[in-house]
Amino acid sequence: MTITRRASPVNGFTTMATVIFYILGTITVIATLLAITRRNPVHAVIYLVNSFFALALLFYLLGAPLVAAWEVIIYAGAIMVLFLFIIMMLELAPTPAADRLGPTWWQWLPVLLLAAALVACTLLLIGLDTSAAQGIPHWYATPRDFGYALFGKYALAVEVVSFQLLFAAVGAFYVGKPEARSSKQAEEEGR
Amino acid sequence: MNPLLLFMIPFLPLLGGVFNACCGSRLPQRLVAAVAVLSVAGSFLFSLLLWPLGEGDGTRTVLFSWLQSGGFTADAGILFDPLAAIMTLMVTGVATLIHLYAAGYMEHDENQARFFALLNLFVFAMLCIVLADNLLFLFLGWEGVGFCSYGLIGFWYRKTENASAGRKAFIVTRIGDLFFAIALLWLFREFGTILIEQINARAGELDPLLLTVLTLLLLGGACGKSAQLPLMTWLPDAMAGPTPVSALIHAATMVTAGVYLLCRMFPLVSLSATGMAAIALVGVLTALYAASCAVAQREIKRVLAYSTMSQIGYMFLAVGVGSVSGAMFHLLTHAFFKALLFMGAGCVIHLAGDENDIYRMGGLKGKSPQVFWLFLIGILCLAGTPLTGGFFSKDQILLTAFARGDGFSAILWGLGVLTAGLTSFYSFRLLYLVFFGEQRQAEKGHALSPLMLWTLPLLALFGLFGGLLNLPHLFGGHQWLSDWLGQPAGVSLALGAELGLLLLMLIFFGGGWLIAHLRYRNYPGDEQAGWRSFLLAGWQFDRLYEFILVRPYRTVCRFCWQGGERALIDGVMEGIARLCLHWGGYARKLTTGQVAFYLQGFAWGLLLIVGWFLLSAVK
Amino acid sequence: MIVPLEHVLFLSTILFVLGLGCVLARRNLIMILIGVEIMLNAVGLTLVGASAFWQQVDGQIMVIFLMAMTSAEVSISLAMVVYLNRRKGTVDVRAFDEMRG
Repeated sequence: MTITRRASPVNGFTTMATVIFYILGTITVIATLLAITRRNPVHAVIYLVNSFFALALLFYLLGAPLVAAWEVIIYAGAIMVLFLFIIMMLELAPTPAADRLGPTWWQWLPVLLLAAALVACTLLLIGLDTSAAQGIPHWYATPRDFGYALFGKYALAVEVVSFQLLFAAVGAFYVGKPEARSSKQAEEEGR
Repeated sequence: MNPLLLFMIPFLPLLGGVFNACCGSRLPQRLVAAVAVLSVAGSFLFSLLLWPLGEGDGTRTVLFSWLQSGGFTADAGILFDPLAAIMTLMVTGVATLIHLYAAGYMEHDENQARFFALLNLFVFAMLCIVLADNLLFLFLGWEGVGFCSYGLIGFWYRKTENASAGRKAFIVTRIGDLFFAIALLWLFREFGTILIEQINARAGELDPLLLTVLTLLLLGGACGKSAQLPLMTWLPDAMAGPTPVSALIHAATMVTAGVYLLCRMFPLVSLSATGMAAIALVGVLTALYAASCAVAQREIKRVLAYSTMSQIGYMFLAVGVGSVSGAMFHLLTHAFFKALLFMGAGCVIHLAGDENDIYRMGGLKGKSPQVFWLFLIGILCLAGTPLTGGFFSKDQILLTAFARGDGFSAILWGLGVLTAGLTSFYSFRLLYLVFFGEQRQAEKGHALSPLMLWTLPLLALFGLFGGLLNLPHLFGGHQWLSDWLGQPAGVSLALGAELGLLLLMLIFFGGGWLIAHLRYRNYPGDEQAGWRSFLLAGWQFDRLYEFILVRPYRTVCRFCWQGGERALIDGVMEGIARLCLHWGGYARKLTTGQVAFYLQGFAWGLLLIVGWFLLSAVK
Repeated sequence: MIVPLEHVLFLSTILFVLGLGCVLARRNLIMILIGVEIMLNAVGLTLVGASAFWQQVDGQIMVIFLMAMTSAEVSISLAMVVYLNRRKGTVDVRAFDEMRG
């Protein structure tokens, strides 16, 4: 496999990219934080889409333009929209019960402790490993390299994953299929 | 003639038995009986047809190799030599007649399929014993007849006595089987083969002491199966089974398997003088013991059971004094007349309205003369009336014992003659009590099926003229059986001595008959007390065994059960279980059913792992 | 040399823990699934960062697989949400405690 390496000749670009990286990182964290604390799931999804856009740009900065595109198309475009559909279908957003479902401080407390401990541990772990302190070289994978690797080296995995998608489609259809009896009951209740 | 056809002889009853076992309960009862009878009759025809194969050294044929492991081979093989041929003919012939009789006897029973399946399987197993060319195959049949006997004694299992009689027979014979099994394994260790022919041929190589031990082990096995001292207590109780079963299994065939085994292994057995003496002693003591018990019995079938035991004692005596032909001769005639007697007893019981007690019978002669005459023939043979089959065979045995000439043999002979007198006495006692005097039974009997009546005359004929098989030279015979078996009688007494012995036998026979005639011509009403109850209970052997074997065993068992299992094992197990239950109650609270709770468990686990990494990184 | 790898890892750690917190603290089934999505994206960020660090394309391919898996997982789990909602009329996880010991 040939990998295109490009030395970064322009110093300005690197600086620029670094600055943009931190800005995007901040946006991502803030958007995610907002998303997970919303009481209304619709709002949460919208914030999350925001976060994913920022993340897609991060991917682009890290030399993965294809992944960035798919992040937008699949994650923000498809999966999150699916979430929205489900939320709207279940009519969750406007119900007053949704307020009750929101987190309260005593729910957050053990989680916060846990999260703090985890973050501390992981950051320490990362910090201890000096090899990670090196900078990331400016490099990006061309679609050509990407395609060769995906359909050459990982062809079997692609097949397996495609099968899994098929199974998931069938499974989702089966699980989501309304039962004859329950729908009849629902009709009777509706009357 | 294809020797493989020999396998048809045991195969047909097996087929009939399996057929009846599998689908007999869904077929009409007549068809079931017909299948059973025909399969055994076919087997009889085959043994007649293949008779020439048994001449001389016989024919050995192997169907397939049954078991093979290292140097050990056990084939499904048949050794059809003169001994096996004559035995096969007797077993299949008598079994055919008894099956016919049973078809009549059991015609009102609901479980005919089970009955005939077991009966056919029994014939199959018996033929395995008779025909097997190796000891393991023989042992298979040996256990097979034990199982079928168990199943048939307890055939009417709803009555507890019957079921426990079946169990008793099974367990007591199992003790004998253990000895036989040890002998089998030991023989294999010594010779590296279990083929009967080879073991017999090479028996001379063995150490005399070992030979004696092996002979005694074989004797132990034979004792269990043939109800000889000291393993004889099961036979009288085995009479709980249906009468055809008693006739087939406990008179004609299975109980003689022990004698047959000793005859089959005779070349080995005969090498040990001590062993032979033991066999003769066991035989004659059993003969005397059983005859004395038969004198006081009240149930018709128990009288016959004890007489069977006594007659088999004679056969053992014959083997012990070295006369295989005498043993086989008596075995054959005994099979005929004892089957006849049992089947006659079945008729008598039917006529007397299911009454077993001979003290409550009487006067049946007027009721059914035909049964009377047939029964009389059987009694005459059993008592050893001159010129009947039983007379010649018994005479030959005693003659052989006498001719040996040493003191030990003389004692054997004396006991044998004494037993003959007792036999004559109890036989006629039975006859007089059942058929003469006034009628004492309360119930009216029921009619006999023609099948039951018409099978008897044939047996009567065989019993009466069975003596022709081996007629001594004295009576102008040629001792055909001895020649056929290749066992010359080897007894040559002076004419005077032989005649003298005959006279003595006559005197004992006549004496026995006379006493019975005087005492039981008219029913005297015996008191069941003193020595009579002692004899009735079979010398209290059951109680003795109960006291010295069963009770200690039961005590040990109770200790193991209450102390070992209940207290120790169960206690520990239940204690552990209770502990687990107790602590499990706390652990149960952990499963809240809340997804969030479980997820938090994951997360804490993750923290642990990350912490572990951190620790190892710091190090 | 945009940023040190460390910083990418810091960012993905924070994102991951945020997702984890969402999964643990929220009682709404939909929100729990959203938390899972956040965690998966954090992993994706790590993979892309590693891919760039070693200049190997494999990490990015893993992200593609990750996305495929995620779409499968989401379709199934959202179908489950619909099903559960039909059964109990709510998406509160506290309602589904039939496995309680």
